Amino acid sequence: MTDPASGPENVSEPILKVSNLTQRVNLGNDTLTILQGVSLEIKRGESVAIVGRSGSGKTTLLGLLAGLDTPSDGEVMLEGNPVSRLSEDERAALRARRVGFVFQSFQLLPSLTALENVMLPLELGDYPDAGRRAKELLERVGLGDRLRHTPRQLSGGEQQRVAIARAFASEPVILFADEPTGNLDNQTGQEIQDLLMALNQEQGTTLVMVTHDETLAARCERRLTLESGRLGKEQEAAA
Amino acid sequence: MSASKKLGSVARDWRERDVKVVLSALVIAVATVAIIALFANQLQRTLVTSASSFLAADRQLEAEHGKPIPQAWRDEAESRGLRTARMVEFSTMLSHGEQFQLVSIKAVSDAYPLRGQVEFQSALEGEREILEHGPRQGEVWLNPRLMRLLELDVGDTVEVGTLTLRISGVLVREPDGGFNLAGLAPRVMMHADDVAATDVIQEGSRVEYISLFAGEEEALENFYRWLKPRLEPSHEWESIRDGEALSESLQRAERFLLLGGSIAVLLAAVAVAVASRQYAVGQRDTVALLKTLGLSSTRIGRMYLWRLSIWGLVGMAGGLLVALPVFAFLNSLVAEVLEREVPFSVEVGALAPALATAIISLFAFAYPPIRRLRHVPAMRVLRSQPGEADSRAWTDIVIAVVAIFGLVWLYAREVVLVVALIGGLAALLATLALIGWLMVIALRRVSGGGNAWRLALVGLYRHRRASLSQIAVFAMTLMLASTLILVRSSLLADWQAQLPEQTPNHFLINIAPKTVDEVEGFWEQRGQSLDALYPMVRGRLTEINGKPVRQVVSKDDSVNALNRELNLTWMEALPQDNRIVEGKWFEEDQTEGVSVEAELAAELGLEVGDRLGFTIGSETITEPVTSIRTVQWESMKPNFYMAFPPGGALEGLPATWITSFYLPEDRKSALNDFTRQFPTVSVLEVDHIIERIQEIVRQVTQAIEAILALILAASLVVMAAVVSATLKDRQREGALLRTLGGRRSLLVRSTMLEFGVAGVLAGLLGVAAAEAAVWALQYRMFGGEFRWHWEVVLPIPLISGVILALLGRWQLRPVLSVSPMLLLRRLE
Ligand SMILES: Nc1ncnc2c1ncn2[C@@H]1O[C@H](COP(=O)(O)OP(=O)(O)O)[C@@H](O)[C@H]1O
Ligand SMILES: [Mg+2]
Repeated sequence: MTDPASGPENVSEPILKVSNLTQRVNLGNDTLTILQGVSLEIKRGESVAIVGRSGSGKTTLLGLLAGLDTPSDGEVMLEGNPVSRLSEDERAALRARRVGFVFQSFQLLPSLTALENVMLPLELGDYPDAGRRAKELLERVGLGDRLRHTPRQLSGGEQQRVAIARAFASEPVILFADEPTGNLDNQTGQEIQDLLMALNQEQGTTLVMVTHDETLAARCERRLTLESGRLGKEQEAAA
Repeated sequence: MSASKKLGSVARDWRERDVKVVLSALVIAVATVAIIALFANQLQRTLVTSASSFLAADRQLEAEHGKPIPQAWRDEAESRGLRTARMVEFSTMLSHGEQFQLVSIKAVSDAYPLRGQVEFQSALEGEREILEHGPRQGEVWLNPRLMRLLELDVGDTVEVGTLTLRISGVLVREPDGGFNLAGLAPRVMMHADDVAATDVIQEGSRVEYISLFAGEEEALENFYRWLKPRLEPSHEWESIRDGEALSESLQRAERFLLLGGSIAVLLAAVAVAVASRQYAVGQRDTVALLKTLGLSSTRIGRMYLWRLSIWGLVGMAGGLLVALPVFAFLNSLVAEVLEREVPFSVEVGALAPALATAIISLFAFAYPPIRRLRHVPAMRVLRSQPGEADSRAWTDIVIAVVAIFGLVWLYAREVVLVVALIGGLAALLATLALIGWLMVIALRRVSGGGNAWRLALVGLYRHRRASLSQIAVFAMTLMLASTLILVRSSLLADWQAQLPEQTPNHFLINIAPKTVDEVEGFWEQRGQSLDALYPMVRGRLTEINGKPVRQVVSKDDSVNALNRELNLTWMEALPQDNRIVEGKWFEEDQTEGVSVEAELAAELGLEVGDRLGFTIGSETITEPVTSIRTVQWESMKPNFYMAFPPGGALEGLPATWITSFYLPEDRKSALNDFTRQFPTVSVLEVDHIIERIQEIVRQVTQAIEAILALILAASLVVMAAVVSATLKDRQREGALLRTLGGRRSLLVRSTMLEFGVAGVLAGLLGVAAAEAAVWALQYRMFGGEFRWHWEVVLPIPLISGVILALLGRWQLRPVLSVSPMLLLRRLE
């Protein structure tokens, strides 16, 4: 699904284009190759699941796609921007405007209330009415009555809802989620899945999600498998 | 649990960051308090010793009734490890052929002087030598003026009573020359064992026997305790603290040291409190885990008590390990400044406050929150209920206040000091609570918007709990440091004002009325102008309201002024540095009445209107007290207990005149001409006393600077410790902001602004509270007048803002240097 309002770029143009991505880390005298020649394209509005065994390099890939790190080799183009060649601050600006994140361990700031946590990305950009937008989003994720509660006072599922509200707050064109249900029980995980997919639909966001959860992977349009840092054969999944 | 297992768990604790902070705080606390206490202790001793040269001993025992002091008393003192010497002072005629001259003799034993040195010349025009003994038996040393007056030279002989003594040198200066305007016949020094052979001293002669004592302070005090019941009313036990000119300076220095120490105690308590509190609050999860594992509350409580005790011990040992070398270093500095050996001695008693501070603040701040946690169900520990306030936190506050109050009291035992410091802190916290409330109201509506300033204000609001408690600690730290800075500067200013450059350092006494003009002319010719001239009549206070003084003042109160002749004067205007505290100064044309010095008036219980009877030679005069005034004894100017109006009863009596003036070192040769031309005028040289006092003031100043530097260093450490208490949270926030797309420069600027604003706020509060505390201290302890100190009030908030901004920047450092990806992995 595409949203014509989300950008002037050609709709058929992929939002994310990755070529020959390689990531190596130096461990003393050894060099560990975490990712090896990964190439892929993701179209605007698509939902993509990245699956693979633990340690196969999923989080590393996600971080590179989102411009959180620079690759040893290869290139990431996000909406036509060569992410890997941008400066740290240019990448930050790109993240602030175009990218949203959901983490396995929620990553809420314990000293802030739910509302303040959601306001955080809005304050970094120049949103005129951060408070109201954050409140609306928290209401949308079903926490309208918990605005002033701190993470410590919320359950895991509730915390992840806050994190999702935060991820969508800045109206990103692309959302990266790293095992969003990994720390939750089945039932709650299911609810979070539903919420994530629903919001994704509503906002027309492109979704790239790392998951262990087969049912969640199955709900994505595409499924990429990582095996020891290499991309395996791609499967189309039914939405 | 076996001991080794317990130790193992302590070692594991060490890896926790909070624990490291607690232990570092303990080490710093113990080290600072111990260093300052030891140093203050040492300094007090060296100061007293260096001032002791004024007495030529640490203590003097004077007998004014003409009976020798029993040898048994000196024997007793020596058996207690003290050194002793004896002196006999009397006035008599010294003759050489046909010439006679009234002289004031000081006969000293071999051990004289116990402290200080004698300045001596082996010939009239010879070099000055420094000696640590007096003349040998059969020899005599004469004051140079006397030598010239009698046209004597070294090698000549003189007669004292029936004894012939050979002049073996010129006595330039004796260490205990003192500052007594009385009895200024020229000085002659001889050996104490020769006194009997002179046959001068008869039953009833005016003679003063003096014993000198020197040694350890403790031994001196023990000896005095032994001696006290044996003393008669005419015995007087004197220490340097009773000396007028120096005592004020010394007392103020001691009080400053006390203040510095108390501030160190408070700072240390704050450091340990913040750290241990942080630790305790951070233990929630562990306590919850232990509970779910089925540990009983009692066992949890005992476990933490055990841990805290171990850390207390480790912290104390670490603190002492730091303190001792630093103290040794400071000691060597002092020795260098004083140019003499300062023994390295650690008084165990001086360490007690340090250890008590560490232990008490550790337990008072760390244990209560843990103790409360262990009663809470595991689930509640893990997930606090919305809106649940710490209802029992106030008991913590009470415990903390009592603990801190007790600590400072334990250290200082000075009500004013404790009240001023604690009162200042309380006022500060109250103001801060108000500010916190205002902050909530004012900042609630501020929102971000990519602007560093707005983000900073949002940050302040968001972190208001942490910010306010940090501001509180910073403000307290700054208050304590500024208090010390303020007191230091006013102390130094006072000292400077007390003995400014060109303080009169020579007195001319015994000027006959008809030579006054000539004397003035002599000095004017040489470009020296004299200070005010005062007439001086010597007399005794004999009656109060018609009753003999001896009856009115009970015998136990040894009132110094009654034992001696007093210097009486008349003057028109009140001297500039005197102040009327009761009654009124003489009106123009008033010829009746007397103005009495305030301390003497208090000792004698005099009030305005009492009638005082004076015996002057064969005359007596009676006058009513018309005013009571304070006198700056330390000013080194002619000061008088009793002042009469001009044209009164006193003016008819034979008087001599006294004046003082400043004579620079290189002009001193003029004194020789002067004494030749005016042989009857006494010259009292106090330049060496003034130099000595100035030197002591310089030493104390340096010591004060050292202590100030220590305290400032400790404050910085406390501030860093406080900032590091929220380090983890701040870094987590910074990392998250970066992944969410916050530019580094924005992050840096908003963080620095947030901390900077907090720093300025803390600075303003701290300085204001310091001014309040200093007002109280100044008023009650240092006896100066209070004024605002703009030069401190303005820069300190700025400096604290900058320091905090830099601390904020510093704690962001790890967040800025690596990629957000790595940060995220660390957060997981
Ligand atoms: N900075 C790093 N230094 C060393 N090893 C790393 C680093 N980052 C990732 N790795 C390693 O690379 C592998 C892939 O990690 P990751 O991308 O987190 O896997 P996944 O998310 O699929 O479980 C793991 O073995 C991990 O330990
Ligand atoms: Mg992973």
